[in-house]
Amino acid sequence: MEPIYITGCGIISAIGVGKEATLAALQSGTTGIGLMKYLPSCHIDLPVGEVQLSNHEMMQLLGISYDKRLTRTALMGRIALREALQEAGLEKKDLRTVPFISATTVGGMDQREAYYAQEPDCDALHASIATHHCGTCTEMIAEPFGPFASLATVSTACSSATNAIITAANMLRCGLADIVIAGGAECLTKFHLNGFNALMILDHEQCRPFDRDRAGLNLGEGAAYLVLESVRSIEQRGVTPLARLSGYGNACDAFHQTASSPNGDGAYHAMQEALQSAGLTPADIDYINAHGTGTINNDASESHAIQRLFGSNLPPVSSTKSFTGHTTSASGSIEAVFCLLALRHQFLPPNINWHNPMEDGIIPITQESKANCQKPKTNCHILSNAFGFGGNDSSIILSALP
Amino acid sequence: MRKIYIQAAEQISMQQPLSEEWMQQPVWHQEAFVQAINPAFRDYMAPNEARRMGNLMKRALVTTLKVLSDTGIEYPDAIITGTCLGSLDYTERLLSAMVENGEEALSPTYFMQSTHNTVGSALAIYTKTHGYNTTYSHGCISFDLTILDAWMQMQLGHIRTALVGGHDEMVESYFRLLQNTGYVGSPGMVPCGEVAMSMMLTTDEHADNLCELAGISVGQCPDIDIHQVDVIMTGVNGQPANDALYQQLLAQWPEKPQIQYKHLFGENFTTSALGLYAAAHCLKQGSIPSFMLTADSVPLEHELRNILFVNCQGDSTNYILLKAV
Repeated sequence: MEPIYITGCGIISAIGVGKEATLAALQSGTTGIGLMKYLPSCHIDLPVGEVQLSNHEMMQLLGISYDKRLTRTALMGRIALREALQEAGLEKKDLRTVPFISATTVGGMDQREAYYAQEPDCDALHASIATHHCGTCTEMIAEPFGPFASLATVSTACSSATNAIITAANMLRCGLADIVIAGGAECLTKFHLNGFNALMILDHEQCRPFDRDRAGLNLGEGAAYLVLESVRSIEQRGVTPLARLSGYGNACDAFHQTASSPNGDGAYHAMQEALQSAGLTPADIDYINAHGTGTINNDASESHAIQRLFGSNLPPVSSTKSFTGHTTSASGSIEAVFCLLALRHQFLPPNINWHNPMEDGIIPITQESKANCQKPKTNCHILSNAFGFGGNDSSIILSALP
Repeated sequence: MRKIYIQAAEQISMQQPLSEEWMQQPVWHQEAFVQAINPAFRDYMAPNEARRMGNLMKRALVTTLKVLSDTGIEYPDAIITGTCLGSLDYTERLLSAMVENGEEALSPTYFMQSTHNTVGSALAIYTKTHGYNTTYSHGCISFDLTILDAWMQMQLGHIRTALVGGHDEMVESYFRLLQNTGYVGSPGMVPCGEVAMSMMLTTDEHADNLCELAGISVGQCPDIDIHQVDVIMTGVNGQPANDALYQQLLAQWPEKPQIQYKHLFGENFTTSALGLYAAAHCLKQGSIPSFMLTADSVPLEHELRNILFVNCQGDSTNYILLKAV
């Protein structure tokens, strides 16, 4: 099968703007989860992983004047996309043949919340802001960089960005494009903070993925994009790829709208399919970046699925949601960038806040224990999981270049 | 290139539900906003199940169950869903509860069913289908993207059958907002409607296939010989800015018969799903009802062999070519 190369990526999350800051935080084990600063919610007791910039500061960073139409999702998306394009060496003129696939679920909900009370008698501008949908966010992110060949938005809740990457990979494999940019962006909103809170799956302390005493997730926000490219295109452009997207799988747990099955069927099939499409066996995987939200249900179900597939040859596993919180629709691409950094800089991102093993659960690598693990070897493969509401489960495999 | 077929397609809209009665006797509506005509849901699900679901979900489920029974396929290889606004009704209820009662004491029920993938994943849960499952939400091309995804994966040999669908509901308060933006509800426009359409795509030849899905092009010029096209189906809806996009495009091919569908099914983001459904059934029937021709169209003077379906969003245009089998 035709290889798919990654030639650029960009990221913004609670642990920093850009890859450099992200790498430093991951290596030093510094979490970005903290007190709520920007989201105007009454639930100030809930820790969150906020990007440490106001919307106004993000506009300054982008060098644009104040524009009230722009959602926080779009601003973060632009910052991440700009970095990805820069690294891949793509300019405006190159993008006419490049599809852009972005993922989001709450989309422009931050604006909607802000104006909701005044809606019944709002003017056309506010009506248009109020009716922003997921696709509008993608258009807003693309606007200053494009025109792109086409735009698309994937929305499968917490696996959205991973599924955007999968759609992009299929486009390349079908020969519909030589370069596709994919990822996701999602800001915190009162809408989903309250939704998760009503489901009682938010931890009032820092989240503790795979820990015996885990008590839920912390929500986070951010954006990340990957530039995926065909072999023909990298040869033509003379660019050096960062890594390969060697496998991907998507399966449905088909169990419950907001809970994972005890056996983790969807997760198991998604991981298995990713391995199969990469032509790899479980023994080839050097590190798993788990979905690991920190909820009782996810971490138990995911543990089972991983144990079923990997048996006693479990590679190092960690959840980096202890750094960023759960960045929902963006988590798949944010964690894909973490994996790229791990591949490039030969380190294992630790599962911080972990103390005690859960019953029958996997034991993740921590800041202390990672020293005892074998570092990712030069020719290594990383599996990254993202699971969404309704059991929309997806996995991708990123591989170092030989 | 593998051949791909549309094996079955069912709808719930402002026309008679789960039927092609509109081809003989369409229901004409004058109101600016028309809700879908619901079928008797009790014929398809238990009352306690129906109570737990909103309209969007019930319609998606019933059109899906009908397609599965039409085709005898129990577990499609993929379920791919297009929706622009997702669970609009539940989203609006949660928002208004948040504004009225503050952030305390909210019920999780609406949130649990408020994500855009609620429909696609609930279809999988109900039918116990573990295959590929994804959802596209990109304005009025949300449904077109489901066809593209299924087409790609069939060409790559990943799947042989795909249940694709376009689903959007509408509520009065949101209709008012959209009317304020000019997207729907302007004088001279077709009504704003609701959409539920499920369709089975297959790579297998079946006697009951409706038509062949011969090509798709999203955002790019299609690799289609326009001389071979019999009929062009457009999304004109009476809104000047929208219709101008099609007029500009069609000016290149004045000799081609043009048909429309939004005057029958209304406007809503995923209405293109109903357009493709209608085109597939016209090809199966081998003729086009006269009321589908646009006012200034030339007539179709020979046998109907294919329809080029065109969907414009802003400066991007999607083409889907359907052929009679």
